[in-house]
Amino acid sequence: MTTDTELTISRLIAAPPSAVWEAWSIPANLEKWWIPAPIACRVDTLDLRPGGGFVTRMREGDGDWQPHIDGCFLEAVPEQRLVFTTVLTEGWQPADPWLAVTAILTFEARDGGTLYSARVLHKNPEDSAKHDEMGFQEGWGTAIGQLAALIER
Amino acid sequence: MVNQQAALNTLFHALADPTRRAVISRLLKGAAPVTRLAAPFDMGLPAFLKHLAVLETSGLIRSEKQGRVRTCHIDADRLAAAEGWLGEQRAIWQSRTDRLAAFVESQTAEEKNP
Repeated sequence: MTTDTELTISRLIAAPPSAVWEAWSIPANLEKWWIPAPIACRVDTLDLRPGGGFVTRMREGDGDWQPHIDGCFLEAVPEQRLVFTTVLTEGWQPADPWLAVTAILTFEARDGGTLYSARVLHKNPEDSAKHDEMGFQEGWGTAIGQLAALIER
Repeated sequence: MVNQQAALNTLFHALADPTRRAVISRLLKGAAPVTRLAAPFDMGLPAFLKHLAVLETSGLIRSEKQGRVRTCHIDADRLAAAEGWLGEQRAIWQSRTDRLAAFVESQTAEEKNP
């Protein structure tokens, strides 16, 4: 169910919630999938507790590291649930992000795997692009093709 | 890309007002003259014409004058661009979830077959 301000995505992952949590909670792992290649991802802050900072940066080729996400975790229940927002930064500091979202991620054990669900709430689409310094819209749809290569090993 | 962003800003600014959204809803049912569009709104014609100007600038509506009557209609392509934005956000999260699944599943496979 997707409204005009909310996206929901869910997927069954053939691995237990503990493995999904490891992919999320270890910076070196998160860097591998958070942003699609060839754009590189750097995890600067991954403080998984309410009020903890969440900062990722991105870089194309050998360019400069660009802002990506600068947010704040609202909830972090290991292997179960993760909530972050870009409307606050570390320590619940109010912010004026280029894209205001709250993401609610849940990991449910299901048939030996994990039902991974993301609900992404937006204020409304009109504040989507305050800063155009990020080529956010470019090259994002290409990830799925590269994915096959990763799976077929 | 910057141009596309600027165009989107204009578009969403146009859609950010209830009067302007009501005009769009009305025009989706078919073209209409300005006087008939203005009728349901409790504001003077000058104020209403400002709203129409914002909509025209954004490209969401077009108008033609024939004699003394100006008729407005929707530009469907521009409206589709607004809808496309959320679709794009969705694609980002969808592909991110796919990559997460691929990563986690490959890690798990390695543990089973070292």
